[in-house]
Amino acid sequence: MRDVDVMRVNKIIASVLALGLLVAFIFAWLGSPRRALAAGSGSPSTPTVPTVLKDLDRVSFKLDVMPVLMVAGCNSGACHGSARGQDGFHLSLFGFDPDGDYYRITREIPNRRINLAQPTESLLLQKAIGAVPHGGGARFKPDSPYYKTILAWIEQGAKEDPADIATPVSLDLEPKELHLKGPGGTQQMSAHAKYSDGTERDVTNLAVFMTSNDNSAGVSHEGLVTAKNRGEAFVMARFATFTVGSQTIVVPKDAPTYVWPNVPENNYIDKLVNAKLQKLQILPSGLCDDATFVRRVFIDVTGTLPTTKEFDDFVASTDPKKREKLVDELIARPEFVDLWVMKWAELLKIRSTDQVNEMSYKATLLYFDWLKDQFAKNVPINQVVKQLISSTGGTFKNPPTNYYQTENETLKVAENTAQAFCGIRMQCAQCHNHPFDRWTQNDYYGWASFFTQIGRKPAEDGRETIVFNAGGGEVNHPLTGKPVPAKFLGGAVADVKGKDRRAVLADWLTSPDNPYFARNIANICWAQFFGKGIVDPVDDVRISNPPSNPQLLDELTHRLIAYNFDLKKLVRDICLSRTYQLDSVSNASNADDSRSFSHASVRRIRAEVLLDCISEVTESKEKFRGLPLGARAVQIADGRTQNYFLRTFGRATRETVCSCEVKMEPNLSQALHLLNGQTVERKIQSGGVIKKLIAAKKTPDQIVDELYERCFSRKPTSQEKTKIDAMLADSAKDPQPVLTDLFWALLNSKEFIFTH
Amino acid sequence: MSHDGCDWCNSPAHVRPGHSRREFLYVGLIGGLGLTLGNYFGLSSKALGEAKNYATKDGVAKAVIHIFLPGGIAAQESFDPKPYAPIEYRGSLGTVKTKLDGELFSETLPNLAKVADRMTIVRSMTHGEAAHERGTHNMFTGYRPSPAVQYPSFGSVVSHELGSQKNLPPYVCVPNVPNPYAGSGYLSSAYGPFSLGADPANGNFAVRDLTLPEGIDDKRFEKRKTMLEAVDDHFRKLEKSDALDAMDSFYQRAYSMISSKEAREAFNIKAEPEAIKEEYGKTTAGMRMLMCRRLVEAGVRFVSMTYGSWDHHTNVAAGVRGQTPQFDKALAALILDLERRGMLNSTMVMVTTEFGRSPKINKDAGRDHWPRVFSIALAGGGIKKGQIYGSTDATASEPNDNPLSVMDLATTMYNQVGITADKELIAPGGRPIEIVKDGKVVQELLA
Repeated sequence: MRDVDVMRVNKIIASVLALGLLVAFIFAWLGSPRRALAAGSGSPSTPTVPTVLKDLDRVSFKLDVMPVLMVAGCNSGACHGSARGQDGFHLSLFGFDPDGDYYRITREIPNRRINLAQPTESLLLQKAIGAVPHGGGARFKPDSPYYKTILAWIEQGAKEDPADIATPVSLDLEPKELHLKGPGGTQQMSAHAKYSDGTERDVTNLAVFMTSNDNSAGVSHEGLVTAKNRGEAFVMARFATFTVGSQTIVVPKDAPTYVWPNVPENNYIDKLVNAKLQKLQILPSGLCDDATFVRRVFIDVTGTLPTTKEFDDFVASTDPKKREKLVDELIARPEFVDLWVMKWAELLKIRSTDQVNEMSYKATLLYFDWLKDQFAKNVPINQVVKQLISSTGGTFKNPPTNYYQTENETLKVAENTAQAFCGIRMQCAQCHNHPFDRWTQNDYYGWASFFTQIGRKPAEDGRETIVFNAGGGEVNHPLTGKPVPAKFLGGAVADVKGKDRRAVLADWLTSPDNPYFARNIANICWAQFFGKGIVDPVDDVRISNPPSNPQLLDELTHRLIAYNFDLKKLVRDICLSRTYQLDSVSNASNADDSRSFSHASVRRIRAEVLLDCISEVTESKEKFRGLPLGARAVQIADGRTQNYFLRTFGRATRETVCSCEVKMEPNLSQALHLLNGQTVERKIQSGGVIKKLIAAKKTPDQIVDELYERCFSRKPTSQEKTKIDAMLADSAKDPQPVLTDLFWALLNSKEFIFTH
Repeated sequence: MSHDGCDWCNSPAHVRPGHSRREFLYVGLIGGLGLTLGNYFGLSSKALGEAKNYATKDGVAKAVIHIFLPGGIAAQESFDPKPYAPIEYRGSLGTVKTKLDGELFSETLPNLAKVADRMTIVRSMTHGEAAHERGTHNMFTGYRPSPAVQYPSFGSVVSHELGSQKNLPPYVCVPNVPNPYAGSGYLSSAYGPFSLGADPANGNFAVRDLTLPEGIDDKRFEKRKTMLEAVDDHFRKLEKSDALDAMDSFYQRAYSMISSKEAREAFNIKAEPEAIKEEYGKTTAGMRMLMCRRLVEAGVRFVSMTYGSWDHHTNVAAGVRGQTPQFDKALAALILDLERRGMLNSTMVMVTTEFGRSPKINKDAGRDHWPRVFSIALAGGGIKKGQIYGSTDATASEPNDNPLSVMDLATTMYNQVGITADKELIAPGGRPIEIVKDGKVVQELLA
């Protein structure tokens, strides 16, 4: 017993030392005296004086004490909320387990943490006010309402709440939208909670306030927002399991008079984008020229570059509707399908393994072909997903069943489904309530319950698996040790009695009424054309990561549903918007904007498309496993296919559903590979474009034009011409080396590697 | 996965939500502002400046050669034989006396036995991860795997902290990036490894993409660069973006590497005298280790090398016996060669593996995964010469004394190159994460 004690003490000392720095740092900050609302801060609003408790006669542990532990930071991850607690005292993270917390405070070490005989001597209070040494310092003062609440609770006998005590059901944060002038403008927030018994309460003083961008808007503990630099922020309040936020826009107080230029609006997208720009007092960039447009729209819609003929025809055309016509034509091309099949293959993790009972190579190909067929037939996206989620049968005979072969761990399947189709990352809630979103452990295990009855058995062919509804099987909630009834995300408990749970889920998920599905697809679609989602990253939808333009995302969602989930129609709207057709060159007011789509962004072309573009302009062919010579990289079925170029330029390996798999960062190997590597040099040689052009009796001058058009979709400028002519003049006898060098330089240039 | 005892649950990295890698993309390179939800967690952007930060010092070691033996080499058949254990534990291999009094290696390591007085053998390395990828993750990053954060590898951290010198990439993988954990993790991929892309043991070895394409000489390359300048000019004037600047900076680095004779020569293993090649052995292990030496000699900070395949679930004796001769000879030669060149004190050689193998021989005469305790070998760069650190019990099942954690190993290695492992690097979303969490410098390992 003594040894155990010594070990325990040692362990405590060790953990104190180890975490000391961090804890001291965080607490030093949290513990700094709470500033009184600064007088003369220019706040027009008088902060409400929040009552922690109107009635200290009957203090509830769950309704009154738990919120204090939360707002004081006691149960945060760095403190007692950590997995092992702090210095022997553990609280559930952000209070996800109030019953456990009640036990730990009152019963775990009897008479230690609370002292019913002398309530003010309770260690819980002594520690919290810093009267005795506390790693976390003083959390609040003896005259604070927080202290009084806990004291009153102990004085009243530290009672456990009755089982039927009301629970908070919603949180409301006012004002919902803030327009401040910065620096210096202020606004007091106020938070109200509603309870299951119909009561309401001002919880401003019990809410934890956060900001998504304290460079634009800071928020105090008390909920006082102070404007700083021009920009946007999302000011959030967290109380109980709820997090709610208000969009905050800060404009400079001494900004020059802002005059909206009244630019044309092609469709609803422009209206909604411009409305946002006006709020931010940002001016959009001008419309991009035809040459820029044609290259951009080819890459984004088809993953290819325009041929010189396509380029010439488009630029020469005087048809006022030529952009619209081009978009329609491109959407109808098979390359459009290829591009989206690739994106969905990433979302579905289409990748073979050598593991027995997992996705075989053959199943991989069948799965990919099925997906391609769906897109080629333009099957509505919700119907595609419905087939995936509810699929049963052999992975060869009914390829969508491979959805359950790419992952066979129940919880992972549940997490992947939420992330891929709802854009929601549920992972946090596996172990504790999501700290920055609404998701609780109950939500997590209720969601997981849809996937607990998937049966899998080997088919005759060892490479095939049969997926079926096993009709039984549960996963237990880690706290209660019991299964949680299947419950839709943020929705009701599902009626799954006697049904295939996945079929029930598929109906809910893909219904036009589903709050996440269409929105997620619309957002993914938007991100393809702007390099960034309206919620970004697209698969991290949470309250604390709000959409940059919620009205726009709402409208795109409504349209997608109205189009019966026809992606092509939404793509058409996006490409025809003036917003998509804006120039990438910025003006003084929008240079720093990266969220409001006031100008086009310069984006590196993703790995597969870049390789395809190099093949296209050099007229050379690639060979990938399982595909015919000359197939394009976007057509690769198996995420495991090896290719140095693609790996170096950061293509997704399809090992996870995460959108972060596609990497766009530059590195040394990329630069070396383009400069010296096989790809550019070999392709210039094997395609023989220069030779062909020379053989066709084109002049060096014409060839220069042709190469520029192929690679950049523009003619060389006169300045460029002069420089190149000088180099050509140096080797007038044989222009081929110089032209080859030019081709090489074009393929190495950022204008080629980036879309703009 | 249970989170009991999992470090990342406690880690600030876990509790501070972040934004995408892409959002973060250029912050590390160019500077910028990460969004933060820091108020709650005591990290307003001002406080970010107060994240634990330590300047990189001049380390005792100027470079690290990390030799990784993938699959998990059996300690019993290498650095920690158990000749007095029952046959089903000790296996069928004999032992060899080392330079250290009373200390034995397995008979598979006769050459290393002779240089044991220059090394520290750690017999008490321990972690709890019995799956290859998880064990490998530990031994490449100093962290247990996290579902929320991708940690950078040792080499990427060194690259981030020490930077490039003499036109060479700071972090090189020989011959290729060995596993997904050898990458840059949450740091920008700018700090990722440069891999040779070819095996130095091959007769026609050439580093991928370093040499100019056939038919292109230096003069022609200069012309091409001029051409590229001309072609890029228009776009550069028109467009401003961090992404473009970052790409540019890598082109500049590529140019200097291509054009530096010294840098190119570092990879030219053909320039090595025949006698030296013979010392290392003209084998896979030999040529890779020789390449490692050339690279650190030329200025590379961190070289990561792999050799062999050690997952001996069946017939462990034959498996180890087949691969160790090359390894034994090459590593002994590397240590002596570094010593002869006066580089041993400034070059840390770290031989690791993802875990050890089970104490008892299984039914297939093999050994299964065993992360409870296993052996690693260290030499140079300020590591104590001639010691066995830690020991295992009679059957090599548990550490007997001085168990060495992954965190402590990593912290000690970083310390030797001048990096304080407690320093916080900034992950996406402005999250500060310690280079190593809760590790300590193990003084007993140091000279």
